[in-house]
Amino acid sequence: MKNSVSRMIACYEDTVFFLIDIGVYAFQDVMKKYPGRVKNIGIFEPGTIGIAAGTALTGMIPTIYGISPFIVQRALEQIKLDFIYQAVGGNFITTGASYDFSTLGYSHYCAEDVATLKTLPGMEILVPGTPGQFTALFETCARNGRASYFRMTDHCNKMEVDVEFGKASVVKRGSKVTVITFAEMLDAVVGACADLDVTVLYYTTAEPFDYRTLRENLVGDRVFVCEPFYEGTFCQDVLKAVSGRAVKIGGVGVPREIMRSYGTKRDKDMNLGLTAKGIRAKIQAFIC
Amino acid sequence: MECMVNGKGKSMTDAARKLRISVLETAYRGGDANLQSVFSSIEILRVLYDRVLRITPGTKDSPNRDYFVLSKGQSTMGLLALLAEKGYFGEEELETACQYDSRISMQADRTKLPGVEICAGSLGHGFPIAAGIAYAGKIQGRNGQVYVLAGDGEMNEGTMWEAALFAVGEKLDNLTLIVDDNASLKEMLDIGDIGSKLENFGFDIRYVDGHDEEGLFQVIARPHIGRPGAVIARTKRGYGSHILMEDRSWFHRAPDQEELAQLTEDVKKFGMGG
Repeated sequence: MKNSVSRMIACYEDTVFFLIDIGVYAFQDVMKKYPGRVKNIGIFEPGTIGIAAGTALTGMIPTIYGISPFIVQRALEQIKLDFIYQAVGGNFITTGASYDFSTLGYSHYCAEDVATLKTLPGMEILVPGTPGQFTALFETCARNGRASYFRMTDHCNKMEVDVEFGKASVVKRGSKVTVITFAEMLDAVVGACADLDVTVLYYTTAEPFDYRTLRENLVGDRVFVCEPFYEGTFCQDVLKAVSGRAVKIGGVGVPREIMRSYGTKRDKDMNLGLTAKGIRAKIQAFIC
Repeated sequence: MECMVNGKGKSMTDAARKLRISVLETAYRGGDANLQSVFSSIEILRVLYDRVLRITPGTKDSPNRDYFVLSKGQSTMGLLALLAEKGYFGEEELETACQYDSRISMQADRTKLPGVEICAGSLGHGFPIAAGIAYAGKIQGRNGQVYVLAGDGEMNEGTMWEAALFAVGEKLDNLTLIVDDNASLKEMLDIGDIGSKLENFGFDIRYVDGHDEEGLFQVIARPHIGRPGAVIARTKRGYGSHILMEDRSWFHRAPDQEELAQLTEDVKKFGMGG
């Protein structure tokens, strides 16, 4: 992320990059070199997003980096009205994913970011699972005139997949179930499906959703959705993709509950059954 | 024609009167309006477009133009009537107000209408956006000044003060906030004087009678070096019509045909000594 953003700042004079008091150490060099265009604004997300939209209205391309709930939820109206309604482009990069800040509690969790932003027409939502995937998606979307959200995670996949904006990747082919997954959940899903006769599709563009790849890779009459977000985030997309066919739909995801636990992200995954073992058991039951 | 109002030396210019009558007609056609709120800002809009803003229909996309950002969206009908008068689009289009496919509405859409810098509607958005426009102007070395019109009630929004902190921190002297202070806040939580608060934040503050065009011009056009400026324009809701000033039901409603005639007559007589 640091390299892609730094490169854009260096190459394009119309770039502005606002940090919401996070990543200041990592970006200290570009902050020094480009003091006007790279700025640690501080901690007022709604105002910052409005200000960023103002720069976009003059033709600049703003990028904002912060923690997911404080951008997506605290400043949702600014994303909706100052970017989407004004029809200007910009980039929102967040850290924290669903519960990466596991020890900080519910205030810092945001399993609902993707579902929330999917309510904004025209918003691009990118959910890379590795730094390489972030780079590929950022370089395609960062300057395309649209509002783009990049959900980053500290818990990247070990498995690398070449990804393309707007297109899902077929990771494995089988005949019983089409399993679809996103972002950092790929490793667990691939582990879960290692000896299962299923097709696995991997999505790193959450919006616009790639209906076509799902339609073309429907096997059997079953779709199983593995979401590292609130469960059901993609329910509407799957329904639309399989429209006109009798398909059984199941899945795993983060339950819509207030999480009051701490521990590590891994502890949470284990307790929620979002591990290779947990997911495998659910898919096996779903096949039967 | 200059004329006295209430014997207090206030005036309403022919141009301001004409704009008010145009707004009444648009409100009638559209079947919806915030007439009190529009009328309080008429002189401010007139001075900006007649004497201050370096923008014309021909330079509306120039990077070095002045910007006018309407943060208090309730004044939209005044802005649109003025843009039509200035030739951004045909005045006959005002007659389509609020129809299904119209570009004319209670809250303008920048993607539809030339000369409209932002889509307004939700309070607390225009000023931060304007601060961003001014900031971009600074770092890109552009010349234009950015003027924002906000309402005093709008100053309740936290984002207004976030933008104020930013504007002072970044020394945005190319940003001028004009507050249409029509005493809306008096009906809400008493937060005290907005001007002194902005002054404490670091703004260059001027107070002015918001219905005195010459006075408005003097304070709006005066530069404020090294820091953002704020003009607190003391106004009256519904100014320009005694009916609108006295009857609170006009906060949000449109006139029917009979009321349109009454209000138009009232505006024509306002300050004429009769």
